Order: sequence, then C-alpha cells, then structure tokens
Amino acid sequence: VIAQLMGYRRPEGRWGVRNHVLVLPLRSAANLAATRIAEAFAGVVAVSHEWEGEPDDPDRLRIEGSIAGFATNPNVAAALLIGVSAEDRVLADRIAAAGQRVEFLAMSQYRGTIGTIAAGVPVARALVAESGRMTREPMPFAGLQLGLECGGSDAMSGVTANPALGIASDLLVAAGGTSILAETPELIGAEHILAARAANEQVARRVIEVITGFETAIRELGVDVRGAQPTPGNQDGGLTTIEEKSLGAAMKGGHAAVSGVLEFAQRPQRTGLHIMDTPGHDIEQMVAMVAGGCNIVAFTTGRGSPTGSAVVPVIKIASNSSTFNRMPGDIDLNAGAVLDRELTLEAMGRLIYDVVVEVANGRQTSSERRGSHEFAISRTVFPMQPAMTALVGTHPR
Amino acid sequence: MKVHGYRRADGRLGAHNNVLVLPSVVCADLVAERIGATDAVAVVHQHGCGQVGDDVECTERSLLGFATNPNVGAVVVVSLGCETIQGVRLAKRLRECGQTVDFAGIQALGGSANAEAYGLAAVARLRQQLDRLERTEAEASDLRFGVRPARGFHHIAERLVEEMVDSGASVVVAGPWPGAAELAYGERADGRLAALPDPGHGAEQDVALAAAGAQVIVSFVGRGHAPTGFATCPVIAVGLDPDIFAALEDDFDMDGSGDVWSRLIAVFNGEPSASERRGARDFMLRRTARTM
Repeated sequence: VIAQLMGYRRPEGRWGVRNHVLVLPLRSAANLAATRIAEAFAGVVAVSHEWEGEPDDPDRLRIEGSIAGFATNPNVAAALLIGVSAEDRVLADRIAAAGQRVEFLAMSQYRGTIGTIAAGVPVARALVAESGRMTREPMPFAGLQLGLECGGSDAMSGVTANPALGIASDLLVAAGGTSILAETPELIGAEHILAARAANEQVARRVIEVITGFETAIRELGVDVRGAQPTPGNQDGGLTTIEEKSLGAAMKGGHAAVSGVLEFAQRPQRTGLHIMDTPGHDIEQMVAMVAGGCNIVAFTTGRGSPTGSAVVPVIKIASNSSTFNRMPGDIDLNAGAVLDRELTLEAMGRLIYDVVVEVANGRQTSSERRGSHEFAISRTVFPMQPAMTALVGTHPR
Repeated sequence: MKVHGYRRADGRLGAHNNVLVLPSVVCADLVAERIGATDAVAVVHQHGCGQVGDDVECTERSLLGFATNPNVGAVVVVSLGCETIQGVRLAKRLRECGQTVDFAGIQALGGSANAEAYGLAAVARLRQQLDRLERTEAEASDLRFGVRPARGFHHIAERLVEEMVDSGASVVVAGPWPGAAELAYGERADGRLAALPDPGHGAEQDVALAAAGAQVIVSFVGRGHAPTGFATCPVIAVGLDPDIFAALEDDFDMDGSGDVWSRLIAVFNGEPSASERRGARDFMLRRTARTM
C-alpha cells in the first residue's frame, strides 16, 4: 500500500505538514512581546533569540537569512513579525516577498512592549481564524523535506538509529521526496564516501570543499576540538574521535545519490538527498534546516535529547533501549530494537519511514507535545576573537 | 538615602533574593523555563555545546559569575548531560564559590518530566529557605552599580560614575574607563572602580556587569538601540536619543533629564524598574569563537 500524504498547500508549489501561526521577533528586544502575544492562544507559537540587529554585524546576512527562512517555512501558515522600529519592515517585506502571509508590528508604534502586546493579540487572533480555514489536501512526496539530525550520539548511533534513518531517507528519496544531511563537522572523515555518491563532478567538488573547509577553519583556530566534537557525552557513550562519530553520522543519509550541497539555511532547488553546511550544534543546525524548508525532522540520539522546534515536528529516535526507556515522553522511536533482535535494521528503517508519513499527516511527536521551541542564532565571525591557545588538559574531561 | 538589601554569607549585599534556574546548555532550556515558571527566575540561552578553546572558559566563567551575583540567593542548574559545558561541573564550581546549589540533570533523572518535577521541588525548597532572609539596612559601600555608557553621550556616564564613586559606592563600567581596574568578561570585581575593556555589544554587556557583581544596572540607550532588561538585575534604562525615547517610552525609566541617582536607590530597595514591570529577562552571552 502506498501511503497518501495530506498537507497544506502553500504558494510556489510548497507544502506544509503543520499549520502554525508564528509570532517571530525580528530583533531580540521584541522577544518578550512575541512570547506574550503567543501565550494568548493555544495554536500560536513563538521563539526567542539573541539577535540584536546590529547593523554592522558581519554575520548580518547569514542571521537575517535564517530568520527570514524560518518565517517562510511551509509549516507556518502565517507569521506575525515583531520589529523594534519601522526600519525592521525591510526584513518583514523580504519575508512577505518570499510568499509568506505576514503581518508586521513595530514596537515604536506602540510606545514599547506592553502596547505592542495589546496591539498584537487581535492581529494574532485574526491570523488564527484565517489559518483555521485552511484544510489538508492530498500532497505529493515531492512536498516532503526531511531534515536528518543526530544529537548526543553514542557508539550505537552509527550501528542502529543512523543506518535505520538512512534506510528511511532512501525510501523517501525513492518516493520523490527530499532529505537534508547536515552537521558539517560531523561529516569530517566521511567526505570521500559522500563525494563518491555525488550526482555530478561539481557536487562532488562542493562536498569536499565544504567539509574540508570546516576542518581547515578548526585548524586555523588552533584549538583542540575534543570536548566540542566529540562532546563529553559522546565520549561517555563510547565514541572516541570525530572521524568515528562522522562515519556513524553520515549513515543518516543512507545510500542515495547526493544531488546538491546547500549553504546554511538555503532552500534546495530540486528533490533528493542534499548536504547542508551547518555546525553540529543541534539547535543551530535545526534552525538552519527549518529555514531551508524542512517541514519534518528525524533526530537520532544515543544519550537522549529532549529538543525540538516550534514549527516543525521532530521525530526522536533512540539508538539503544536503555536511553529510550529511561526518558519517557522525550523520545518517539527505539532503534535499540535492532540490537535487541526484535527488528531487523531494514524493518526499523521502514518503521521510521512509516512514522515520518504518519507524523506528516498529523500524528504528534513527543517534542510537539512538550511544546519545544528552542532557537539559536548561528555566527561565523567573531571580530574580537582573541588568539586561541591549545586546550589539551584544561577541558572538563 | 537609605538602602536595604539581602546580606549574603560572604558579606555581599543583594538587591534581590532570587532563585535562579540556569540551564548549562540550550537543550535544557525548556525544562529550565518550566521549572522557573513560578517562584524563580529562569534564563534561557542558546549556548553550552559545540564550543571550543577560550570560548568554553569564557562561557563557563560568565555563567559562574552571573550565578554568584549577590542578587542570586540560590541556583538550580539544569543540565542535559552530554553537553560541552558540563552542568555537573558548573554546579560543583558554583558550590565551591559558596553558592547554594541544586542540580537537575535531564539524562541522569530520566527525562524532561522527571527533571521538571525534581527542579520544581528544588525551587520550592530553596524559595522557602531564601524567604527567611529579610532586607537589612546597608551602607553605601555595599553597593556596586553597573553602568552601560552610550556612544556619543560619554559625558553623561562620566558624571554618573563620578557621583557614584563620590557617594562611596562601587562601579563597574562596560567599556574602557580611565583609572579603572580592568576585568575580563565574566570576571568578578573587587575594587571601587572597575571596567570591562571588551564587554561585547548590546545586552551582552549586562551579563558581564552582573558577573562583576553589579546589583543594579544603569543602561544609557542611544541612537539605533532599544532598551533591554536583564534576568537577575534590575536595569534602569535611560533614553538619550529623543526619537527612540519617544517611540519606546514605556520601556524606558527616564530620559536624559531624569534623576538617575534617586531612581537607583528606589530600585535597589525594591521598586520595579521599567524592565521589571514588563517582565523582561533578557540574557545574552558574548561568544568568542564559532560553534562546532
């Protein structure tokens, strides 16, 4: 039986699997107003972030791009954008021009936070009513864009959860959908495997460029990356090196051809498996994938992670039964069943694929039930960066 | 002028008597937020994992300094368990600084729901403990104020800092300052006049001022900036640009013509500042290297 997807049709041939009204601060000074407006309605979500909107910030384009992308994710039916001054309308207009249904309020029109909350509540109410009239309709698999993520990995991640997710990703790609593999530092050491699967020469070159580029950036910092990659928890879980972690992490991408390499938060132009250049930090990465159009995320975890997204359902998959059983309410699926010989890897992969389809069709995930709304701004340039010295021995290990 | 505050075991004075809920990593934000929903102040932030080099030490130092500010009477550290900035270690270092600490590890306690239940009980217990403490009369020498000057209006900050020092209070200034002892971001001040030559920008400066030990922050806001609040210190926002002041008047305490000094004393004694009235609990951490 071929499953039928049901989603929300959005402009420009895109599809949502959720129908959220998002209240989004365009600058951090609007965080409080956005949060309070969203609290007034059950169906409205908000995020807070640490972007103050410094005009001369060298990361400005990257950050505004991810904020704009997040607001135009197809799971967002409408976005209420809260700016500080009238100048923030430029970013709001950019989001509207990308095809999103947008309302914009500047705090400067309402003498500050309290007035903005009072003005924003009726606007949010109208958007909720408007989005409530939208209904699901049959949706092609080409409308499904799955973000592949791992966080708090352990030695079993590369044996159970990641290869099983790879099988699910291959099934989705074969059905005409799109998958995004990211976490560039967690691909260091696996670049040759991915480059060999590139759809063409140019993609192969980009795969190598992006991954070795990150490795070079680490070298230029002159720091010991251990403690960040792999993290203390990765190490407790039996992962010894970043290369070992990477070889497991890359398995989330299955065996499909790599059809493209995306910049941070960039939307793919075609279907199939893509690689996106992001940090390994779970939330910076998730925001990048959501901003790049992923309408669903599958997230494997060895140590156990409770995180999620305000606008995208995140399916949490444990690599082992002990973690799955220890964290009730945080994790959706147990790939430890493969180790316990209850399911073959193939069957686990099919199960994940089936759950991806069910969740796309409306089944709630644990992070949705908990109301997750983590968000992070990703920076690359640190103007005041001091000279870094090697850190071996000073880290808490 | 009379000031009343909460006397800590180490002799320092708090303007507030907060239970702080502090996530060691972004992954613990939601649990921290829920634990801190009543009876405590929770901060959320996006840091704590995938960090390298001096950036790790800077973040740890800032979190430590911030969580040992005298306005904080007790801390519940919320950790995921696998993060770079290990929550267990943060809690241990806080205890070594003499802070009252409880620890809720999400992985260790068996997931978010269990960690929340544990954390809520910890907050209730710590709150009860802190409620026994009452404000007592203090001296000017017990006061340490944080000052955020605004570009183009340095003379106004200069006048205030002079007034503060003359009155016998201590001052920490965000930015270079002649004659002041220099502090690293996140480091605690002990002299009468200290400055942060490299304080980060915008609201990042507040974390450093709090970590230095400021009980109340005076934030001068000039062109192109908005008034911010802070998690554990009242912020007195002074609008120096007439247009921005007019546009966001409710989020300011006063414009440049107001009496900062008497407002400071009133706020120290418990009168809410504009940021406290609206419930702004901004918390922005300066970073020195990209995330891995």
